[in-house]
Amino acid sequence: MEWSLSKPGDVIASSPGGGQESIEEQVKRNVAFAKLEDLIAWGRAHSLWPFNFGLSCCYVEMATSFTSRHDIARFGSEVIRATPRQADLMVISGTVFRKMAPVVQHLYDQLLEPRWIISMGSCANSGGMYDIYSVVQGVDKFIPVDVYVPGCPPRPEALMQGLMMLQDAIEQERRPLSWVAGDQSIRKPEFPARRDLLKEGRNQATELRSPDEV
Amino acid sequence: MQHAQAINANSTVDDLVARFGVPAFTLQPTPDNTPTLWVDRSQILAVLGYLQQRFPMLLDLFGMDERLREHKPDGAADFTVIYHLLSIADREEIRLKVAVTDADCSVPSAASIWPNANWYEREAWDMYGIGFSGHPNLRRILLPPTWEGHALRKDHPARATEMEPFSLDQEKQDAEQEALLFKPEEWGMARATEDSEFMFLNLGPNHPSVHGVFRLALQLDGEVVVDAVPDIGYHHRGAEKMAERQAWHSFIPYTDRIDYLGGVMNNMAYVMSVETLAGIKVPDRARVIRIMLAELFRISSHLVFYGTFAQDVGQMSPVFYMFADRERLFGIIEAITGGRMHPAWFRIGGVAQDLPKGWDRLVREFIDSMPARLDQYQVMAMDNSILKQRTVDIGSYNTQEALEWGITGASLRATGMDFDLRRDRPYGGYDQFEFEVPLGHKGDSYDRAAVRVEEIRQSLRIVRQCLDNMPEGPYKSDHKLTTPPPKERTLQDIETLIHHFLNMSWGTVIPAGEASFPIEATKGINNYHVVSDGGTMSYRTRIRTPSFPALQQIPLISRGLMIPDLIAIIASIDFVMADVDR
Repeated sequence: MEWSLSKPGDVIASSPGGGQESIEEQVKRNVAFAKLEDLIAWGRAHSLWPFNFGLSCCYVEMATSFTSRHDIARFGSEVIRATPRQADLMVISGTVFRKMAPVVQHLYDQLLEPRWIISMGSCANSGGMYDIYSVVQGVDKFIPVDVYVPGCPPRPEALMQGLMMLQDAIEQERRPLSWVAGDQSIRKPEFPARRDLLKEGRNQATELRSPDEV
Repeated sequence: MQHAQAINANSTVDDLVARFGVPAFTLQPTPDNTPTLWVDRSQILAVLGYLQQRFPMLLDLFGMDERLREHKPDGAADFTVIYHLLSIADREEIRLKVAVTDADCSVPSAASIWPNANWYEREAWDMYGIGFSGHPNLRRILLPPTWEGHALRKDHPARATEMEPFSLDQEKQDAEQEALLFKPEEWGMARATEDSEFMFLNLGPNHPSVHGVFRLALQLDGEVVVDAVPDIGYHHRGAEKMAERQAWHSFIPYTDRIDYLGGVMNNMAYVMSVETLAGIKVPDRARVIRIMLAELFRISSHLVFYGTFAQDVGQMSPVFYMFADRERLFGIIEAITGGRMHPAWFRIGGVAQDLPKGWDRLVREFIDSMPARLDQYQVMAMDNSILKQRTVDIGSYNTQEALEWGITGASLRATGMDFDLRRDRPYGGYDQFEFEVPLGHKGDSYDRAAVRVEEIRQSLRIVRQCLDNMPEGPYKSDHKLTTPPPKERTLQDIETLIHHFLNMSWGTVIPAGEASFPIEATKGINNYHVVSDGGTMSYRTRIRTPSFPALQQIPLISRGLMIPDLIAIIASIDFVMADVDR
């Protein structure tokens, strides 16, 4: 498929080929060819519906990512659902408390497949600074996690970066197209740790900005 | 001795001694000069009942495990129940203590004197296993009903990693869910009347309009709320237990996360209580920096309240404007402290760093732009007729009710009570500032919001005064407990080196004793009661938060209203669950 971007004010010919377009050119302009599973994966990745679920401080930063300055709608993920039955993404934003864990499990069970989990913030990742009797040491003790976003709390930008990484993963993920024919397994792509990918670039930073200036 | 004289000179104490006799009380001197009296268990109800006239508010009630304490005050046994009373008319406080032994761990309940004692006593039962005879419904409040042991007892494990690793199989899941099921009979509720059957609706613990993990079990007749039972504890992070294993300084980041919209405001109450205990004086520049940051966070917290309040009663767009302002404010917070929500930036004796170059320009731009925006929001939200219809005369209570339920802050002022700790018992330098205390008169949901909106303007006024009059000088006290000796000198002599090393590795040693410090936080009175046993860690840290009593009062003000009214009430309270469950 061929397409191009134009700027406001550009003179756009009513028909790009001046009405002289061949059949091939018109087909190129209007028809996209893709494998069905690629197309479905692309659609899934860019229409994630998050569940309106929050646990503590991190949820405030998550809510901030919905508001104007950050606007998570730019990444096709703003359709917040109040029930897990209509959502396919659950962001565990905050501390997972022992009293809350059965409730989190119950809500997770109600998410329909395919479903994805982002663990947002140190508490959900590992318990963080709360190694204390009432806190579960990481949500992955009882539900599987796709992306871990570090921070206490992570900035809204960090959550959006996590979301985009999840979208990349979903786009490469392959699921059975039918429950009667073909391979029934779910193939997830390998993702190396970000730390390893970014290490080289980070090591090159030798001068850090002073906190004495704004 | 001075303390003892100060206490003896107190008229309330004289009065009590005259009525109940000298042997009834043991005085305990405390550095915060709050009269602290040990009372025998047999007399506590009579004394509390007598004091209720003068102290209409039970500010706090909590337990303490004295068993491992080396510097036990006279009169202490195994456990202590501490009552902290506040008189707003006289600007006075008093603390009463009752000692109980492990074998006979029970005191009479004060719930008949102050209704808000109910939850505080349930918490003391949950955390310490202290019984309260005559309590209407003594059951766990913060930990799950299936919990074993009492978490704040010194022999209960503190770390999750000291306990059996958490797992959740189907069997346990079912058992836990069954335990959380709401059973109306446990709360003395009928399932039906003669002609109609009630519906029980479970609102939360995950619901978009309950602001976090908070659950309300509603008894409904059609859409009318007959009664409600708030269920909390889904956000219990064990902050008070955490304080017992963190060094005095390293507990500061945990305080940020108590009222997580209030940022450094929490640091303020904590560091000031420790400074009171250790007798540390803070330099002027640090005091003004603290006030400026605290007021900026008050604005930030009120902006979140403003936006979510409008949203909860049906307005979609205001929240986007308020959050955009909050982002601009976070730009300043980030430039000064490096953090956003949890800067952990105050220190015992001052603040972490000096202000960066150019801070004044950022602050000036923000406070210059805000008043016009607030005018715009007034038209957009507060003057909107639908918002008014949803909130005027909804969830009203009078000053008397507010006091006996322990309601403080803007919600108390919305009833017409003219009381603000910043003005009436100035702390940390607030007496040097000019500002007004906005009041409501009806005590309804609308007034609670209107008071907070006006408080944003007053906070802007305080910030402007900080900006125009920022004193020069050190940003941290040179007291030996707060600031280690200069690093250069440690390489010159062994004394300085050792001092530096111990301060850095073990942490400071705060002298034995106890002190509390109430401040006017974003949501009401926040009070830290810290007890030192002469170590590098606190022996007991009690955090009194304003949101806890506010939730306890919900049933009182929502009975007979519709569910949408209940949502408006919840929106108008301005609470965060971390501030309730800690």
